[in-house]
Amino acid sequence: MSAAPPDEPTGRRPRRRSLLGRLAGPRAPRSRLRRRISSAVRMVAALALVGGIYAAFTPTVSAQDTPALNAAAQAGKGLFDQTCISCHGQNAQGVPNRGPSLIGVGSASVEFQVTTGRMPAAQQGPQIERKPPQFSADQARQIGAYIQALGGGPQLPEGEDLHSNGDIAAGGALFRVNCTSCHAFGGGGGALSSGKYAPSLEVASDREIYAAMLTGPQNMPVFGDSELTPQEKEDIIAYIQNQKHDQDPGGWGLGRLGPVPEGLVVFLVGIVFLALVSLWIAGKS
Amino acid sequence: MSTHGTGTGDFDVDDRTLQRFDLVREGARRDGVEILHYVPHFPVAGTRLERRAERTIAGLFLLTGLAATAFVVAYIWWPFTYKPGANINKFYTPVLGLTLGLTLLFVAVAVFAWGKKLLPEEISVQQRHGGASPDDERKLTGATMLNMVDELGIKRRPLLRRAALLGLAPVGVVTIAPLVGGLIKDPHHPDIFTTTGWRKGVRLVREDMTPVRPEEVSTGGQITVFPGIPNGTSNEYADSPTLLIHLRPDDAEKMRGNLRHIARNAGATWGDFVAYSKICTHAGCPASLYEQQTNRLLCPCHQSQFDILDNAFPIFGPATRRLPMLAITVDDGGYLICNSDEGFGVPIGPGFWERP
Amino acid sequence: MKRRKPDLAALPGAAAGEIDDRLTLATPLRRLLNKVFPDHWSFMLGEIALYSFIVLLLTGTFLALFFDPSMEEVPYKGSFAPLRGISMSKAYESSLGISFDVRGGLFIRQMHHWAALLFMAAIVVHMLRVFFTGAFRKPRELNWIVGVLLFWMGFTEGFAGYSLPDDALSGTGLRIASAIMLSIPIVGTWVTTSLFGGEFPGTVILDRLYILHVLLVPGVILALITVHLGLLFKQMHTQWPGPGRNNRNVVGVRMFPGFALKTSGFFMAVFAIIALLGGLFQINPIWLFGPYKAAVVSAASQPDWYVMFLDGSTRLMPNWELRFHLFGHSYMIPALFWPTVVLPGILTVLPLFYPFIEARRLKDYRHHHLLQRPRDVPARTALGAMAVGFYLVLLASGGNDVIADKFHISLNAMTWAGRIGVLLVPPIAYYVTHRICLGLQQHDREVLSHGIETGIIKRSPDGRFYEVHQPLGRVDEHGHVDLEYAHWTVPKKMNRVGALIPTVRGFFFPLEAPPNGGDRPEAPVSPAPGREEIGSGRS
Repeated sequence: MSAAPPDEPTGRRPRRRSLLGRLAGPRAPRSRLRRRISSAVRMVAALALVGGIYAAFTPTVSAQDTPALNAAAQAGKGLFDQTCISCHGQNAQGVPNRGPSLIGVGSASVEFQVTTGRMPAAQQGPQIERKPPQFSADQARQIGAYIQALGGGPQLPEGEDLHSNGDIAAGGALFRVNCTSCHAFGGGGGALSSGKYAPSLEVASDREIYAAMLTGPQNMPVFGDSELTPQEKEDIIAYIQNQKHDQDPGGWGLGRLGPVPEGLVVFLVGIVFLALVSLWIAGKS
Repeated sequence: MSTHGTGTGDFDVDDRTLQRFDLVREGARRDGVEILHYVPHFPVAGTRLERRAERTIAGLFLLTGLAATAFVVAYIWWPFTYKPGANINKFYTPVLGLTLGLTLLFVAVAVFAWGKKLLPEEISVQQRHGGASPDDERKLTGATMLNMVDELGIKRRPLLRRAALLGLAPVGVVTIAPLVGGLIKDPHHPDIFTTTGWRKGVRLVREDMTPVRPEEVSTGGQITVFPGIPNGTSNEYADSPTLLIHLRPDDAEKMRGNLRHIARNAGATWGDFVAYSKICTHAGCPASLYEQQTNRLLCPCHQSQFDILDNAFPIFGPATRRLPMLAITVDDGGYLICNSDEGFGVPIGPGFWERP
Repeated sequence: MKRRKPDLAALPGAAAGEIDDRLTLATPLRRLLNKVFPDHWSFMLGEIALYSFIVLLLTGTFLALFFDPSMEEVPYKGSFAPLRGISMSKAYESSLGISFDVRGGLFIRQMHHWAALLFMAAIVVHMLRVFFTGAFRKPRELNWIVGVLLFWMGFTEGFAGYSLPDDALSGTGLRIASAIMLSIPIVGTWVTTSLFGGEFPGTVILDRLYILHVLLVPGVILALITVHLGLLFKQMHTQWPGPGRNNRNVVGVRMFPGFALKTSGFFMAVFAIIALLGGLFQINPIWLFGPYKAAVVSAASQPDWYVMFLDGSTRLMPNWELRFHLFGHSYMIPALFWPTVVLPGILTVLPLFYPFIEARRLKDYRHHHLLQRPRDVPARTALGAMAVGFYLVLLASGGNDVIADKFHISLNAMTWAGRIGVLLVPPIAYYVTHRICLGLQQHDREVLSHGIETGIIKRSPDGRFYEVHQPLGRVDEHGHVDLEYAHWTVPKKMNRVGALIPTVRGFFFPLEAPPNGGDRPEAPVSPAPGREEIGSGRS
């Protein structure tokens, strides 16, 4: 479940990511998967150990305001108190005009915002943009665990691969009725009102797409598990990832942006080429 | 047939001393064309330059053949059936384009080179004979045409003229009648503009015909719903798609406060749920870009923006009218249903002349 | 009977004799062969449209063998896996079939679409050439009118073709088209329901568009092209003014073999670029759009480029809806009516009558066979620039959501920029173009009277620096040349008068220098005096 099956799309993705990763900063993307698995194993062990000791030695802590935190959440709290607290406030209660309360947003939301680099936000604008993440995926999950422990909320399923069990054709139909209006047929994104936009899905991972549907970040509507069942979400992800890795059969896809680049090409390539030809073969003045 | 040009009158085409080009020149002169400048590129045959030009062109033709063969080979043997991902099949169309394009490009360049390098340099002048016809010609033709009218005697025989007009006018209509009669459709009987698939009690269903319960739409979520009737999700009911939105409680409060501005909308919402026609009132595109924080609905075709909290008032772009709201409630089974006898109660989508 | 061995060498001659015996062809055929065509690169632009149309007919015939315009719903069973099992119209299903299950079908489909875009682009560019050079003037007004009609026919043909595959973009386009028809006062609803056979989308519209697309409109286009070329042939081509060229002659090369070789090569070049575009650049990937469903739409929904300016005008239109009461009933004219019905109406009628309007304004009813340099008619050129400016703002607005998204500009700001731009850009374009035309004229006259700037700086004994000018004719005692501006091209660089050899040989210039050197009759002025005469600068 957690190990990626050796099919084509997942086999390709780490390489793509590595370029981005290099751009983003010093991360070793090639071993990331393995590292994550081993760290997960180690974490479970540590959890069991620490949890046990913790429970044994401090039985009265849970009587206080803050609920009992497991180790991951404890680590997440540390990170939260360093970085997020200035906007989202003590115990993620929110600070008026700076950041909303995070009670109830769930770990899925945190993981989406932090792994895509949208949080911590650089500045206020019409929209908070994707940028190189400041925290590792593990750290993001720790913060997520903390927020989850504070107020519950939607959580992501386990594993990196959330598309292999999806039905591409069914996902396509759902994608077209629910997603294309903003993210466009090609998944390249599109403009929204007043400077906001729906981002391109080009770099989005399975977990990010899943989390975005589940939590509705920023202006994206929420597609909870009753609107799109987990299976339907995987269908959609399967369609998106398949489309991304599906080479265009008709030549260069022109960004799959539709008639605008096509019109540019017919003038910049077609008319310009033929004008040069006529300049070559016919009189000049 | 009169000659156009100024061929020399005493030119003897059978004169043995004439070169062929003299005949060409004379022919051209008779057509009003004077060949002023006619110089072969290679006055001396077989120079190194000429042979090089020849070889270049020959080479281009050979390349044409090669590219054309490559096209045919690729066309027949290159695998082309669809396989997902990146694979050799995906290069079928590019390879065809490249080979055919090169084939034709080589032909083009060879032909151009032939024309540029091997054909003699030429400048010819042709006299124009446009403009009006000579006066006497005009008069003669005019008389002929007037005489034609006289021969028919239309002017002298008013009865015949009127009778012919009267008789032939319906014939003209005959040609149009089947076209118009066959095509014409009354838009108002039945009235296609206000009727949709929505009736009181019709369930709101997803595209796969499953009915929707309120708790299935998350706060800040939206879902496209169709009338739960046979073919309700098909294009047969192209004006029925509706956007069901579950607002956040404080937003819903604001929206409910605004409902009284539009008499029809009062009481049309259910809880924090509101349903608007998805068909834009401007040009009929599905206005479905719902921004859940700003509560705006954007139409991607012409960028009209509607304020969800204020009865879908058009706040930007070319749309002039609000999106109609669908009155909804929940039936005994816990499913959302339409709560109005006449569906939206107003014409859906773009405006038209007789729209009330 | 003795069997004679046929003399193969004499066969063509004998056959020609037999044909002429029956048809009396010798004289007309020779006249055809000898017809003179003027030579200029800008005269080739219309041919791009002609040859694209031929490619359209060829590829379109191929597509018609596999396409089925039925709107009956069927489940997809073809080889494109991501759509398998989806319910769709037969039209869309057969378009997918052409793309994935017909050998070479996608290639031909893409060529067809690119050829259509190129056809329209060439028409527009060709029309601009004709407009800016005054080639539409008497006696060619009729051909100009035919050209304008060809544009609108191509527009209709293209839109019908865009709608046929019944993908989500097609359907969205059709829905907007139906809304446009609805917006027509009084008859709108009747026209729409009659055309769609009832409510949108109904079941008949694609069949109707199909017959329009493959028979009626191409027939009309073919007829118009025939008239267009027939008139061109009858009236003979215009030419640029120059030495030896006047209103009563045509200077150029004879049709055969010179012009014919050139133009058939050009056909191949047009065909080649369409093949390259069709193979290397993906166009209209209908399999990404999915079948048309009334509830489905995509961001960046655009029509093809030649319709895009109308989409732009629609986006920019403020939300002005006219309402009035007549006989106790309220009537309205939707905002959509103005940018999509009235504007194209104006854009059709105004160009149709422009040749007559201009002739009337200038009181110029003579025949014109010589073209005008755009700079010589500043008012018309500026008017044209104004129209182009207006058009470009609308065109850019037609894609303003893509521009907004790719360049991170607010969508609302783009709309406002377009609204302001459509009012502001045309007058600015008019003014700037007018000034540029006058400036260019001025410079031409200056070069004629003072000579070409050589780039050689001299210092006189009294210490002054001046640039040496190469006069183009005999110099009088004031250092001026008495040359009248004759609306010809004025050489502005030394290599134009034969003083310098072109740096790159072979591409833009014949490899072989003409045998008799520089005294070509085309040279607009008498050959430059010897180089030792250089020296007369500005006095």
